[in-house]
Amino acid sequence: MMKPILLAAALFALAACETTPVADVCAGRLGTNVEAALAETERRLGLGCEYQFESYFRENLATAEANPSSDNKRLFSDHLVRANELGVISKRQARELYNRYFNVKFVSLAGDYNTCSQTCPVQARVLNDMKSELQDKELGLLRVSTDRASYYRADSLLKETQIVLEATCRACDAGNPGR
Amino acid sequence: MATQLNFRGAIALATLLVSVAASATGPVVRLFPTTVLEDIRETGQVAEEMENGLQEVIHRLDVQQQLFVDSQCQGAEGDEGCAQISKQLGATYLEMLDLMNSRLPDMERAVNSTRTSLESRLRKELGQRTTPTSLQDQLLGKSGSLGVPGTEAKDRPALRGRSGVRLSDRFKQYYQLVATNREGPGSSLAVVAADIYLDMEEAAQLIAATQEEISRAALMEQLNQSFGVITPEMAAVVGGVKEILFGESVVDAPIAAPPYVIGQTEFVSPLEM
Repeated sequence: MMKPILLAAALFALAACETTPVADVCAGRLGTNVEAALAETERRLGLGCEYQFESYFRENLATAEANPSSDNKRLFSDHLVRANELGVISKRQARELYNRYFNVKFVSLAGDYNTCSQTCPVQARVLNDMKSELQDKELGLLRVSTDRASYYRADSLLKETQIVLEATCRACDAGNPGR
Repeated sequence: MATQLNFRGAIALATLLVSVAASATGPVVRLFPTTVLEDIRETGQVAEEMENGLQEVIHRLDVQQQLFVDSQCQGAEGDEGCAQISKQLGATYLEMLDLMNSRLPDMERAVNSTRTSLESRLRKELGQRTTPTSLQDQLLGKSGSLGVPGTEAKDRPALRGRSGVRLSDRFKQYYQLVATNREGPGSSLAVVAADIYLDMEEAAQLIAATQEEISRAALMEQLNQSFGVITPEMAAVVGGVKEILFGESVVDAPIAAPPYVIGQTEFVSPLEM
């Protein structure tokens, strides 16, 4: 009585293995050509490899770093837009990733409340986050996109922000001596 | 005379450009209203007067000290000539202290006035009327709220670290920065305002420390009648005066990178902030 049941279970398990090739689809190198690697990434994302998005993104950045070009900025922008359309990442995530790596402006310095109340209490943390973001911009702007001017502008923007925040936050504190 | 004319010219130009720019850009973040400009102008004037008054005395002090050293007066208490030089040194030093005592309060008042007015503008305009996002826009010169929309930075201000520069020259530089940036994007005006404010805080601290030192040194002189030689305390006072007024270090270490045009390449992503 037990034998047919065990046999059926074994056959079922075997069949299940044959119909779930996802692990194989998601693994493996994406390629050394940036455009092809991004296309391959999108193909895999469409096949259910969403959980690999972050490692794909890092691998694609490394591939682009090895193949620097001003066109890479556009390729990554298109890729992030498509990843959003595929439902892998939200629009906000797409925007944050793009701007973190490929824009002069810092996503670490953002907010809808006034500077005195939002940034000054966490000034040191914000500046540390900006410094860390500058390293990502160095990769995205300088090494991947060969956009030196934008990277240098981001670098000076960070230094300007340090000075302006130092002065502004001191002025805010002077206006609230009890705080 | 020529310097004074240039200084006045720069002030007039700055004032003119401020008013032209203000009328051309609609709603503006007003970091440099007339009152602040007037404070900066006055501080520059007070600094210049103080420099002019002290330059000759400090030079004389340096010459007398050199004479003291060259005449090998160190340790030669019995020598009449050396005693004479020592007496002159003490008198010149006291003269410098008197001059400082008479000028420093004006300087202190002017510096504090500039600091206070800028502090208020920074708090109101950048602290309370600006979000972190719009602050970044302003620094990049994209919002137009501080300057002319659509223009890009050509001359970024040299940031902090201008020691080695005369105090009055530093104020001339402030004026030039304000004037230059009124012509282009206002983005850097936030940096200029922050820079001046932090400089004023530093100057106020130095002035207070020098005043304290002068009181102490004057008391020492009253007790000792004559210094004989330049003591370490005297050297510290003279050094402090020179630092405030004439600058000590000749090494400029600007924090800002060389001026770069904002790197707006041909591609603009729809994801861009």
